[in-house]
Parts: sequence; C-alpha cells; structure tokens
Amino acid sequence: MSGWDNIRSSTRSQQGRSHSLNQREPSRTVTLGRVQPQAPAFRTIYCNDRDANFAHRYRGNSVSTTKYNFFTFLPKGLYEQFRRVANLYFLMVSILSATPYSPVHPVTNVVPLSLVLLVSLIKEAFEDWKRFQNDMAINSTPVDVLQDQRWESIPWKKLQVGDIIRVKQDGFFPADMLLLASTNADGVCYIETANLDGETNLKIRKALERTWDYVTPEKACEFKGEVQCEQPNNSLYTFTGNLVIDNQTLPLSPNQILLRGCSLKNTEFVVGVVIFTGHETKVMMNSMNVPSKRSTLERKLDKLILTLFGTLFTMCLIGAIGSGVFIDRKYYFLGLSKSVEDQFNPNRRFLVVLLTMLTLLTLYSTIIPISLYVSIEMVKFIQSTQFINKDLNMYHAETDTPALARTSNLNEELGQVEYIFSDKTGTLTRNLMEFFKCTIGGEIYGTGMTEIERGVAERKGIKVQEVPTSINSVREKGFNFDDVRLMRGAWRNEPNPDACKEFFRCLAICHTVLPEGDESPEKIKYQAASPDEAALVLAAKHFGFFFYRRTPTMIYVRESHVERMGKIQDVSYEILNVLEFNSTRKRQSVVCRYPDGRLVLYCKGADTVIYERLVGGSDDLKKVTREHLEKFGSAGLRTLCLAYKDLAPDVYESWNEKFIQAKSSLRDRERKLDEVAELIEKDLILIGATAIEDKLQEGVPDCIETLSRAGIKMWVLTGDKMETAINIAYACNLLNNEMKQFIISSETDAIREVEERGDQVEIARFIKEEVKKQLKKCLDEAQQYFHSVSGPKLALIIDGKCLMYALDPSLRIMLLNLSLNCSSVVCCRVSPLQKAQVTSLVKKGARKITLSIGDGANDVSMIQAAHIGVGISGLEGMQAVMASDFAIAQFRFLKDLLLVHGRWSYIRLCKVVTYFFYKNLTFTLTQFWFTFYTGFSGQRFYDDWFQSLYNVIFTALPVIIVGLFDKDVSSSLSKRYPELYKEGIKNMFFKWRVVAIWAFFAVYQSLVFYYFVTVSSSTSQGSSGKMFGLWDVSTMAFTCVVVTVNLRLIMICNSITRWHYISVGGSIVAWFLFIFLYSGIMTPYDRQENIFWVIYVLMSTFYFYITLLLVPVAALLGDFLYLGVQRWFFPYDYQIVQEIHKDEADDSGRTDLLGIDNQLTPDEARSYALSQLPRELSKHTGFAFDSPGYESFFASQLGVYAPQKAWDVARRASMRSKPKPKPNKIN
Amino acid sequence: MDTDRERHRARETAFYLFTQQSLPACKPVLTPGWVIAIFLFMGVIFIPVGLVTLRASHCVVEIVDRYDIDCVPEPSRMDKVSYIQDDSIPKNCSRFMKVHKYMKAPIYIYYQLDNYYQNHRRYVKSRSDKQLLDGQKYHDTSSCQPVESNNNRPIVPCGLIAWSLFNDTFEFIREGAELKVNRKNIAWKSDRSHKFGKNVYPFNFQNGTLIGGGKLNPEIPLSDQEDLIVWMRTSALPSFRKLYGRIEEDLDVDDVVVVNLMNNYNTYSFGGKKKLALSTSSWLGGKNDFLGHACVFAGCSSLTLAIIFMLLHVKYRR
Repeated sequence: MSGWDNIRSSTRSQQGRSHSLNQREPSRTVTLGRVQPQAPAFRTIYCNDRDANFAHRYRGNSVSTTKYNFFTFLPKGLYEQFRRVANLYFLMVSILSATPYSPVHPVTNVVPLSLVLLVSLIKEAFEDWKRFQNDMAINSTPVDVLQDQRWESIPWKKLQVGDIIRVKQDGFFPADMLLLASTNADGVCYIETANLDGETNLKIRKALERTWDYVTPEKACEFKGEVQCEQPNNSLYTFTGNLVIDNQTLPLSPNQILLRGCSLKNTEFVVGVVIFTGHETKVMMNSMNVPSKRSTLERKLDKLILTLFGTLFTMCLIGAIGSGVFIDRKYYFLGLSKSVEDQFNPNRRFLVVLLTMLTLLTLYSTIIPISLYVSIEMVKFIQSTQFINKDLNMYHAETDTPALARTSNLNEELGQVEYIFSDKTGTLTRNLMEFFKCTIGGEIYGTGMTEIERGVAERKGIKVQEVPTSINSVREKGFNFDDVRLMRGAWRNEPNPDACKEFFRCLAICHTVLPEGDESPEKIKYQAASPDEAALVLAAKHFGFFFYRRTPTMIYVRESHVERMGKIQDVSYEILNVLEFNSTRKRQSVVCRYPDGRLVLYCKGADTVIYERLVGGSDDLKKVTREHLEKFGSAGLRTLCLAYKDLAPDVYESWNEKFIQAKSSLRDRERKLDEVAELIEKDLILIGATAIEDKLQEGVPDCIETLSRAGIKMWVLTGDKMETAINIAYACNLLNNEMKQFIISSETDAIREVEERGDQVEIARFIKEEVKKQLKKCLDEAQQYFHSVSGPKLALIIDGKCLMYALDPSLRIMLLNLSLNCSSVVCCRVSPLQKAQVTSLVKKGARKITLSIGDGANDVSMIQAAHIGVGISGLEGMQAVMASDFAIAQFRFLKDLLLVHGRWSYIRLCKVVTYFFYKNLTFTLTQFWFTFYTGFSGQRFYDDWFQSLYNVIFTALPVIIVGLFDKDVSSSLSKRYPELYKEGIKNMFFKWRVVAIWAFFAVYQSLVFYYFVTVSSSTSQGSSGKMFGLWDVSTMAFTCVVVTVNLRLIMICNSITRWHYISVGGSIVAWFLFIFLYSGIMTPYDRQENIFWVIYVLMSTFYFYITLLLVPVAALLGDFLYLGVQRWFFPYDYQIVQEIHKDEADDSGRTDLLGIDNQLTPDEARSYALSQLPRELSKHTGFAFDSPGYESFFASQLGVYAPQKAWDVARRASMRSKPKPKPNKIN
Repeated sequence: MDTDRERHRARETAFYLFTQQSLPACKPVLTPGWVIAIFLFMGVIFIPVGLVTLRASHCVVEIVDRYDIDCVPEPSRMDKVSYIQDDSIPKNCSRFMKVHKYMKAPIYIYYQLDNYYQNHRRYVKSRSDKQLLDGQKYHDTSSCQPVESNNNRPIVPCGLIAWSLFNDTFEFIREGAELKVNRKNIAWKSDRSHKFGKNVYPFNFQNGTLIGGGKLNPEIPLSDQEDLIVWMRTSALPSFRKLYGRIEEDLDVDDVVVVNLMNNYNTYSFGGKKKLALSTSSWLGGKNDFLGHACVFAGCSSLTLAIIFMLLHVKYRR
C-alpha cells in the first residue's frame, strides 16, 4: 500500500470512529488550520423570533471584502504605498529638499512622487471599487424569508440570525443555516460544495426527523425552537450544537448544516434556520489573503536598485569630499568672509562635507527610478488583463473558458521556467473516461482502436484500416463504443444473451451514481465521484438499461428489449446493501432484490480481486477473458471485471445480520465490514469485463515535445500506479526507448519480503538502505553518461514510498543531483504533500524557476509551493484554480502561456527595467559632471521642473509602450522555434553584463551631452555676439538628453507600431510644448526668471539646430555600433530567427500555417510518439477505479460526513491559507 | 447610423488587434546592409555640415590678450592682491593688440575670466529676481544673503552677483584716434525688458565695508545698466566670456589697437585669469571649432565604420 493510502485510510478510520462518538459527545473539534479561539459561551438562537434574537446583537448578513472604506482609504492606502523602499526614499528626499541644504526646489521630488502615488492609489481605488460592487451584488441577491406565513423576498444583507428561509434548486445558501426540511423524501437534500473545497460531486445533508414537516410556510411559521451551538469558527467540517424543541434536546451534527457558498442540487427547495451570518459564516472566516509571490526578476531588480543606491552614495561622497576641499575664503565673490552658514564655512570643512552630502543626495535623487515600479505594475496589469486573459489562442471554445491570470506579478517569471511539475489526471489526461470496449462471455465487443494500438500497428508496418463507424452509432461524452452486435437490442441475437443481460444489469445497478436533471435518456446527467462509474452507467443507458432514478433504497431502471425487441418497461430494484469501494478491497458490490424477489449480488472490481473470488469451473471463459483483459491493458485501457451471484434468501438473511452488526460496531468498523463483505463476495460468476479509455488531453504530446525543445524539463507527479504513469509518459513523449531509464521502485521482492515480516522500524530502515543503494548506483551511472559526449537522455521513475525516503535530508542531495541530470522524471504513487516537497526540493535546492500545473484539490500544495502555479480550469472544481497564479483550460495552452506570453513578458520587462536604469543614470550623470565644474557646490544643472518632469512626462510613456507592444518574433515563430525560450531560462537579457553595457553607454552618453554642449557654447552664439548663460546651456543639454533618450528607445524596439511613433514623438513634442510655455510665460507669483525666454533665445541661433543634430547622433553612435556588431558577430537566437524570417509579413492569419508547414500536426505527432512505445508492453490490465475523491463521495453517500482529506492537511500545513471562495456566481 | 456602426467596428477591430498583440508594426532588422547604409548616410550628412560649420568658425577673426599679470606693475607682482585692493594706486594700464587679419565690423569686445565660479550654488542663488524688477517695492531680500542689506537698509540690486560686478574698463585707440565702442544692446533683449525694472534705480549699492566690484550710477534704471544685466546672466562654467561692447568700425590687417584699461577687478585672490578678446562673428557665432570638428569626426568615423563593415561583409558573407 502506498504512503498516500496509508494516510488516507488512517485518517479515515480515525474520523469514522470519532464520528460515531460524536453523536453523544459534541465536544470534538478538528483543528483545520487556524481555528479562532472560541468564546466559552454557546450561542443561543431563537428560531423565527427576531425580537428574542435582537438582544444578542448578532451581526448582519452583509459582507464586505473591500480593503478600504471612504475614510480609511487615504491613510491606509498611503501607508501601503510607503512600504515600498523607493517611495519611502523619495518621501525622505522630498522632506530633505524642503531644507535650505537642497539645491532643488521641493517640487523636483514632490511632483514625481505624488504622480506615482496618485497612479497607484487610483489603481487601488479602482480594484476596491470592483470588490465593492461585487459585494453589493452579492448582498442584494434576493432570498425567500418567512414572514407572516408567506415567503417574502428580501436581499441577503437584510437576513438575520434566526430567520427561517427557503432556498430553491441551484440557489446558493446566503448564510450558514440549519436544515429543517426538504421537498425530498426523508428530509434529504443534495449540495455542491465546489466553492468551499472544489469538489463537484454532490454531498448529502439530512434534516433531523423531528423537523421534516416544516416545508410549507403555514407549517414553518409554527416552528418554534432554540438552537444552542458553538460560537462562529472557521472549521468547515465540524459543528456542535443542539436543537431544543418542546423541551426536547436534539443533538446537531455537521450533517444538518448548510454552509454559505454551497449550492442546492437535485432538490426543489429546502427550508432552514439561519445560524451564522455575514462575516461569521464559516466560509468567510476561512478567507485569508493569498500570499503574494514576487518574481525572480523583481528580486533581481531590488539588487539593481541597491547597486544604484551604492552608486548614488559613491557619487555623493566624491562630490562632498570635493566640496570640502574646494571651499576657501580666497573666492571672495562667494562672500565667505563674514559669518557664513555651516554648509559653506571654510573653517568647518568636515561639516561642509556632511551637509553637501545631503545636498547632493537630493540633487542626484533622479538616479533612483521612482516611476519604475508603477510603470512595471501598469505594464504587467495590462499584459495580464488584456493579453493573457484575452488571447484567443488560449481560449477553449468548448467550455467557454479563457485563460485567466489571477495575479499580474509573475508574467515575466513565465518566461524563465525551467522545471514543470505536472499532475497527470485531468492535466495530461482528460479525466474523461469513455466506455470503449467490453468482453462479455468470452467475446470482445467494440470496434474502436486506441491511439496506442494504432501506434503499435503502424510501427509493425500494418496498414491501419479505419473501421467506418456504422451510421447509427451513438457518440456521447463518456461513450465511444460502436458495435452493431450489441446496440439497439441486437445483443439478443448474440450467442450469450443471458450473460449480456446480466452484464448490462450489473452496469445499471452496481454503482453509486446519482442521476440529475430530467428523467429522459437525452437530458439526464450522471453525477459520480469517479468518472469511470459515470461512463459505465452511461454505457448501460445506451445498451438499453437506462438508470433514471435513485432513492436511498431503490434504483429505477428503464429496460428495453429485454423480453422482446422494442419493449420498454420500468423496473425497480431494491438496494439491500452496498459494500463500498476502498483501495484495499478494490471492488464494490451491491445486493439487490428484483421485483420478482430474486436476490442478486453484483460485483465489479479489479481483475485480480475478482478472479480470486470466482466460483470454480468454466476455465475457458476465465482464460479467454484474462487474455482480453491483457489486450485491453496493453492498449492503454482501464479495465474492470464484472461478476454476479444469486443469493438464497436464508443465506442472505443470516449474512445481513452480521453485516448490520459490523456496521453498528464502534471499534474497528472498517475492518469488520471488510471481513463481512468477504463472506458474501465469493463464488462469483464471471460475466465479463469493461474497458475504458482515459483520454489524453488534446495536443499534450506535441506541447510536451515543444516545451522540452525549449529547454524545459518536465516532471510528472501522479498518484497513479507506476505502470499507468509510465504508459502515459510514453504517450506524452516524456519517455522513449532511446532513453536510459532509472527505475526506483518499492515493489521489489526484497522489500516485499521485509514488509511481510511487519516490523515497522525494520521496514523503514531496510527501504531507506535500499533506496540509498539504488540512488547511488543510478547516480554513478548517470554521471558516466553525463561525461560521455553522446550519452542517451536519462529518465528517472520513482514511486512515492521510495520518494518518501529519498526526500530524507541525508539522501536529498543525491536525489537532486540525479534528477537534475535527467531530462524527465516520473514520480508515481505520490501524496499531495510529496508533490509539494519535490517541487520545493528543486525550487530551493537547485534554485531553478519552477512551475506546477494541476487541476485538482490534491495539486493545491504543489501549485502553491512552486514559483508559478497554474491551475487547469476544468472538470475537477475550482480549488486548484483558486490557489493558482494562472488558470488555463487545457494543458496545451501552456505552450502559448510560456513560449509566447512568458517569453514576451520577460523580454519586455527586461527592456523596461534596463531602459529605466539607463535613462535615469544618463540624466543624473550629466548633473554629476556638472558638479565638478561648480566647485562641488551642488548647484543644479537643470531647472527644477525639468528634473521633476523628466521621469514622469518626457520619458514615461514610450517605455510603457515598449513594455506592452515589443515583439521580437511573432507568436507563431516563438512556438515554431521553442529554442528561443532558452534565452529566458539563462536570463540572457537581465544579466549583470547587460546592465554593465547599458551603464557603460550611459556614462559615454552623459559625457557627450555635458561636454559637447558646454564646450561648444564657450564662445558667443549667433551673429549678435551675445553669450549664453548657465540656463541656456542646461536647456540645450536637457533638450539633447530628452531627444536622445527617446531615440534610444526606438533602437531597442524590435517592432515599431503606430503607438511607438506617437509616444516617442509625443514625448519630444511634450518637452518642446512645455518649454515654449514655461519659458514664455512669466507670472508674478511664480517667477522662473532663470528660464524666461531661454528656448527662444536658443532657437534664434543656428547653434541650437546643429547641436541638436550632432549631439544625439554622436551619443547614439556608440550604441548603434554596439548593436550592429553584437547582432552581426554575437547574435542572440531571436535575432537569427528574425533575419531568417525578416521578409515574411507578420500576418496573424498565417499563424497556423506557419506552425504546421514544418511540423507534424498534434495528432500526427502523438501517433509518432505512440509508435515509439516499447516493444514489450507491460502486461498490466488496467484498473478503472483509481480516482481520488471516491471514498469521500461514498462516505457522504452513506450519510457519513466527509472525512478530512490528506491534501487538506498538506495544503494547510504548507501554506496556512486558503483562497477565498467567492460565491460570485449568483444569479 | 452607418458611420456610427463602422466606427464601432473599426474600434472593435483595433481592440482585437491590440489584445491579440498583432497590431500592424514595422520590424526593423538591423542587418549588416542597414548598418552600412546608416553609417554611410551619417557620413554623408555630417561631413558637409561639419565642413560648413568649420568654415564659419574659420571666418571669425579673434584676438585674445591676457592682461591680468602684465597690468600689475613689476614691483607689485609679488603681492598682487594688496596691489589690487589698494585704492590709492592708479590702475590704468595700456595693452597693444595687433590685428593679424582684416576684421569686419561689428567687432565684439569680450572680457574673459577663468577659475571664476559664477555657477557656484551660493553665488547663483544670491539674487532677488523680484527685487530686480520691482525695486524697493519688493521688501524681501533674504534670498540675497549675504549681501542683502547695509545699515539696515536694503541694497538694490542685492546679492553676491550684483555685488561682485566686473569693473575693468577698456578704451580702444587706433592710430591716435579713439575707436567708438558701442555699449548698448549687449544684453539679451528678454533680460532687459522683462527681468530688470525700468523704474528701479540702484540704491545703497556698494556702500558697505567691503566693496566687491563695480559701482552703478544711481541715476540710471537697472534696465539700462547693461553691464549689470550681462553680468547677472550667470555663466555655465567657471571659465567664461562676457560681452563688453562693440567696435563698429572695421580693423585692417596690421592695425595696432591700443587698449587703455582700468585693471580694477580682483582675480588675484583666487588665481583667476583675465583676458580681453576682440572677435568678429559669423552666422554661427564666435570662433569655436569644436562643433565643426565634432561633426567632421562623427562623419568620418561613420564613413570609416561603413567601409570596415563593408569589407567585413565581403569577407565573411553570411
């Protein structure tokens, strides 16, 4: 038994035991995560009596998920903003610039800071406004409440504790409530808890028998009772309380509680009493903020900012020391002879140095790019909301699901992923089980051919003949079977009609499926925990045994063609016992009574367990069926054996007594039930076997192949058996025969032998030794291959139990070394916790960027542990999506998400960051050079407004446009040349080398700006012989800086759209407009006489135009030369691709064509992959009951409340958080 | 109706192209061909521009004479500072400047100071623009520290800049006749008309214990004190020229101009130089080869690079 099963069954049995005690002793609380300390007092609720409850002042039912309200917005929002270092720094500098030490007016630093804050606050306000509107929509959803013997519709927010309400089918429960009555018989109702725990299967809640009648308003208003229950807490699976009616105390359990966020299914309506409202509901108390992840690039950015701080400090220090040396009385024109303020006092040079330090700090503050963070935020926000969420390539039309970026923090991280950890079921495979073939009485039915079979056949050179589907064939989701011999009642003419009949009845009766919707074959929907089961029932429907209704004791089947062709009759079978499925039994049985009194036990299960329990004789049938099973297994199908047995009434009665006894026993109930079941599940008669296809998701092999070419290593982490996992891995292109496979399995004889002895300590020690030995051997071998030049690719396959020991700190390094050398790794039989451990092993141990992708609740821990979590928004509910950073509908969209969006985002962000760095450095350095010529006094070179608007207006927009629109190669080329992605993995565009090159050119350019302009203006300009002053020169220099920096931006662009022209041109024009106005207007209040008329003076000279032509070109000459040489002699990969395809028009219409012409279609590629399957297929026969979530479903079916899941514990332990389940689908 | 719908559709299409990231774009690929072409183009543009600029600069005739040392009498050269600070010693001095090339009027007279930090922070901010425009109507002269008031009365114009006004004077004599020097219109018009008040007269100026530089005639409004206006447009670098006046007569080759100057201004304390420059002007301005050389250099290096790239392109064809 695997580790996971251990955990599951042990928690389960514990739960079961305590549950039985729970009836009497309502004191147990299961601690799930953070349980709030409970007030000692119980809460008492007077049902249907608002006046009595009024005294308690319970909270209302309106909820608010907003972060701010009208009054707290400003203080709280500002506080949030100033937690950023850059903002705080600028606040300090702004304060500093209000002192006389500052060379600049406070406006220089206040304007950019306030603009940045304004943008951030507007964004916050906008997001909060949306939350507020969402809250409003929820709060004003109507609900029926009992008033004056009538159902009155009131909004949710008006609901109060103690109210009696009615919830209709498919409606959401507005608050936590006590179930009183239901329209279903026996006070039962079905609920869906997808918003709470992500499970889409239905759960049963049952009212107390005493309250069943209160269905109608007339009756319900007579209901007077008192609920005494615990104080509100956040434990979803517990509830303790009593209901007091007529001095009678009835204990309540979670079974009577309907939680806010769940919805009602399969029940016309229910009536209940509100017990917890608003923020006191369990779902609201569980909502915690998802911890926000920060991308690696941003962390590296922090380092860059720190470096900038270091540079700033060095520059200030140089300037400050210079000022200390410079200051001297001999410069009499500085007026230093009289009493002088400290900063210029030649007698106190040390103080001069210190104060000049402050001066220069404010002067050079522009080196820190204050608007960088807000620009990045904006860019990423648009990238995720407009590009990722709206990409048609990632839109799944079938389920109407677009991709969803739940966070915009990690866009660029998507461009650097090196390891992908993938779940199997639902992610690689569709979790769509289709009834594909069957064998009945030694005869195979079903003409279909699986992909694996086709691949095998092709490899053998057999021409595959596509069997034409018969005209009347039925095709439905879950049913992909075609054989004229069985359909439409034709089975009656088969050699074995009786076996067929039993086969179909077994399919129709022996299951735990719930029918939903209309009771007609076309409209009915089957709700099942395991998709295999639904497929089987569906198959029965198509064979003419239509299961349409279920009550706790009966199953109704509409049978056709049984007695004669075309005859339809409704038959009801009484279900006497259900012998549940669990992973030890691997089978499930139902004892039923026919209308005519016949007692039959139907059983289905794994071939091994069924064969052990067959009656002797008919060896031929057994042999043939086994051969068929192996054939199915090798075709990648999941199989189940079907068997039945007639029971004599007296035998049954005596057995049933034992069964009831076992069922009601308090200790070891599980084991006893298993033992009792064993008594009757014997001497079975084999009917046949079913074969179900576990379909791969569309395009999976192709996607995996592309990703591996992109240098991404793929690990599959699955709870499945090793054989299944390997099979899927082959089908997905993860494994092939050229690979050297290292298999570390716990299913060896040696281990089994030790296990049989049963000494736990001994087992642990032995397995650990064994794993260590194996790992060492594999590692040695791997390193051998690694050193040889043309060694095969390596693959590691390890099972959960071995993994448990391999993850031990002492072996962890070895495991990591081995697995990093492997190009693919398959971990099977792993628990959710182990999935997370493996993920963090690579994340922390190898410091590589990891991505986890999964669809189910069991993947949550893995998704949260990785750098990036991707959820498949598919069939298995929302839990994975809620925990994820990105949600996509199909695995194959990963290709677009990573290779296109991730890559682009990464490149764009790198460009934005390095460009910001460059432009601020260039600008600040010109100031720095000037400082040397002002006696280190800290005189500003530029006017205050120039400096303050430089970052926020004159250079702000173009860089955002680049962050949005820059495309090096088109999306189709990105996918066609996945190797381009490797540049992101190696972080080619944001290395220190890249930053250093930018810095070098920033220094060069700033020197050009400063010296060209100052040297050339040392004589008179223009024919009037007049001289320029400081402000003329600085305005000239600033104009050059603005023009050059904007032109430099054009040079980093790979594609230039209209918006580039508009923004770059606009920025330059904005500068000129600004300076025309600013220097042209002089108001009595703000007399900026320095700048007055400067630009007109400048523009009246030819000097201005020649300089404006020369300086930008001279400054950019170096960059241009560098770009040309770099592209020519040391090109990046993308540049090569650009040149190959430079003549092709980038037409989105051709996207698909381009993708195909050189490559196989996904289908072809998949067949190709399948043809690579090994010659000797494992002789496993599949087993179609291997679905997680099954047991809890079964438990709830029996009225046992769902046990806490292993993955819940893992998830909470790892993250202590739970995404907020929002009941936002209300309408 | 139809146009509305069309506009709507156009907007939708634009939005579609935006979200699908397929906006029409030009994709410049910097292939060797382009690199060569651009370098060639730059060479072709910049060499002519540079040559024209250089020619303009070469047309300018400039005579520069450093006089700060020679104008101190031999015995005082050991202690120039006390010489310059001693008011009792007459400061006149004569210099001879030989014209080596025909100079066409107008000939601009500049004085040039070196190592004079007019751009020092303490210096730059020590002025009051409002006072310059409004005179004593504007009371707050705190920005003029440390030369804001004297005997508790405000100084107009206040501040270090005005206080340290340059006060050497020059007279030019050619062949015994005095050359007329036009001292009008030497400041930018925008300064004269908008920064210095027409009704503002110097007041209490240079009355303190320490005299920094030139005095102003209290009868003349500030807007007409062009020396002050020129001086107060502070220079960008510690070495700077300022316009003194214009000679509106041509000077012939081998003319000798005798300059009678009053060497009043103290640059000796901080080791600054004083120079006198006579210069004609071209359409581009004074004599400054820098722009021309830079343009020619940029053009030539572009051409060279283009040729190198071309050779490489021929040799290692991709």
